[in-house]
Amino acid sequence: MNHVTAETFDQNAKAALQDSQLKGALNNLTNTFGERRKIAIQSVNNWEGLREKASKIKAETLKNLDKYLEKFTENAEKAGAKIHWAIDGKEANEIILGLIKERNAKNVVKSKSMVSEETHLNAALEKAGIFPVETDLGEWIIQLAEETPSHIVVPAIHKTKKQIADLFVEKVGILPTDDVDKLTQTARNFLREKFQTSEVGISGVNFGIAETGTILILENEGNIRLTTGLPKTHIALMGIEKLLPQLSDLDIFLKLLPRSGTGQRLTTYQSLITGTKRDSEAEGPEELHIVLLDNGRSKMLSHPVTRQSLACIRCGACLNSCPVYQQIGGHAYGSVYPGPIGAVITPQLNGIEKNKQLPFASSLCGACREVCPVKIDIPELLLHLRAKVAEEKPKFLESFAFKLYSKAWAGNKSYELGTKTARFMQKLVAKGEKIGKQTSLMGKLAPPLGNWTEFRDAPTIAEKSFRDIWKEKKVKSKG
Amino acid sequence: MDTSTAKAKIFDSIRQSLRASEPFDVVHAEHHTQEDFGAIKPFIFENKVQTFCENLTAIGANCKIFSNLKHARNEVENLIVEKSAKTIAISDSDSVTRIASTINADFIQKASAEELFDCEIGITSAQFGVAETGTLVIESDKEFNRLTSLIPPVHICILEASKLRNNLGEVLAELSKNLSKSVTFITGQSRTSDIELTLALGVHGPKELFVFIVENE
Ligand code: SF4
Repeated sequence: MNHVTAETFDQNAKAALQDSQLKGALNNLTNTFGERRKIAIQSVNNWEGLREKASKIKAETLKNLDKYLEKFTENAEKAGAKIHWAIDGKEANEIILGLIKERNAKNVVKSKSMVSEETHLNAALEKAGIFPVETDLGEWIIQLAEETPSHIVVPAIHKTKKQIADLFVEKVGILPTDDVDKLTQTARNFLREKFQTSEVGISGVNFGIAETGTILILENEGNIRLTTGLPKTHIALMGIEKLLPQLSDLDIFLKLLPRSGTGQRLTTYQSLITGTKRDSEAEGPEELHIVLLDNGRSKMLSHPVTRQSLACIRCGACLNSCPVYQQIGGHAYGSVYPGPIGAVITPQLNGIEKNKQLPFASSLCGACREVCPVKIDIPELLLHLRAKVAEEKPKFLESFAFKLYSKAWAGNKSYELGTKTARFMQKLVAKGEKIGKQTSLMGKLAPPLGNWTEFRDAPTIAEKSFRDIWKEKKVKSKG
Repeated sequence: MDTSTAKAKIFDSIRQSLRASEPFDVVHAEHHTQEDFGAIKPFIFENKVQTFCENLTAIGANCKIFSNLKHARNEVENLIVEKSAKTIAISDSDSVTRIASTINADFIQKASAEELFDCEIGITSAQFGVAETGTLVIESDKEFNRLTSLIPPVHICILEASKLRNNLGEVLAELSKNLSKSVTFITGQSRTSDIELTLALGVHGPKELFVFIVENE
């Protein structure tokens, strides 16, 4: 496998643009999920009201994160869970490895967890001789192929059926087939044995409920129910930002997340786990360990713009809607989290220095902001980070515009100037019907994008924000 | 690893950051006025049974309505014959126990995980049904059904009509009164579209789901 990193985003993007098979897969993904999402959001009352409410709940939770974390851990412990704290990925991996070793466990199953990708848990465990088996079909394919996920919801989207079949022939020894059902059954049969023999199951967490100490995990396949239900010990790895105040908040978030992610009204399975079983006869593991990971998250709380990043519920809608992601796919970002959300959280998690190009991997068209179920203003975040890059490395236009922006933030009263600059920048980028090197200054503003637009014109972008359109509509209907 | 210092450090960092953010918060709030989109009205249905069935059928599961348990029982028997199931796992709920006691087949109640992997059908009831989404809600403290509903390739659920609620909000309110160790929401059968976005059923859980609603218990 080529060593792809965010530092070489420029070259990665170029290579991806020439990959026609990848292009086909991305087209399929973004069209299918985009369409499904559009249909699904019509099956609720007041989608915009739900988004607004969700963003308020998240904002309030993050502003009081210390209090909610205290509440969550206190209630989870009361219910029998054991809480662990990890400052960074290395610590989280050491805690998990320690738990596995203490139990003398040889076999470990894992369900999909982006946080464990972030900490490179598998590599850390493998170094110590533990080979965790991924059980989500997409993740298992990726693991067999020794690759990394290219999408946060459908990790193996860059692979064709044929490639997957060849992989199974080689690694699992099945007969050649092009039948998706047969390939799926291969995974079922192979992994069932792993579930039966594993002593430890590792999962991620979608939401933690402060009021009850509950963790909630969503899925379609059932492998999470098996991972968290069969082995004696369940270890759940979660970022400290995953909290919601109360159980009833799930009503809103369970309407938003599946519809935004896969266009489902509800994901097939939700497991709500509160502590450990109360009598030994009951089903389920004997132990529950919750590992809470910071890894740079607490620092993001220090500014309202960066704090928004922590509201993300990892639905993937911003990836599917992004004209850049649609062209280059997930791997070109060279980071664990791809797409618009990846472009804003990776530099914050791993440092701006190594990820300078990522905040520029966007045309600031605002499509991500329109679809985001928790209303994260990703363009605003991108500008904020670009300003940080500019601070470090002054350069022609960047330093001019972005310094203006960061200055605006330094003197708070002139914040309006900052948002004006943002709008101005957006205009520079989004000019005319098509965006291409000749028709905008984007090439100068964002070097990687300048390159990819050489290959083709990007689709028209939303010039008016949804908010504006909505406002106009409201005014019209009132008048 | 000294996890207590990690905890202290993380809390310190959180509090420090939140304090640093305060002056910016005011400015940010001023420029990001929140909008009022009005109330979010929950869905209330005239006929919960009908709505539940429609929504569940729409995602590829089977749903049938029976006037009483005896009729549901006959359908269970038919299915066992149709699938030529040799071993059937059953939960410990009342309705399921009653049905099993009148059918001549090899039932295992409270099967171990190992036994479950050899069962062709799993039969459970559920504590709630959600009409809005066609969702079954099972609680580990109420019924031994968590793996019975998951491991065998066919899952049959006997659901009393009185357990149906309009929406998830109603269920969450009732659940929060006495939360089981594990609560599972089930909407349709196990599925994946990880290979070229092609839908495949029964990847880790059941390939087929039958919900039999019993109107009069
Ligand atoms: S930023 Fe918003 S749209 Fe993107 S993954 Fe997170 S929640 Fe979804």
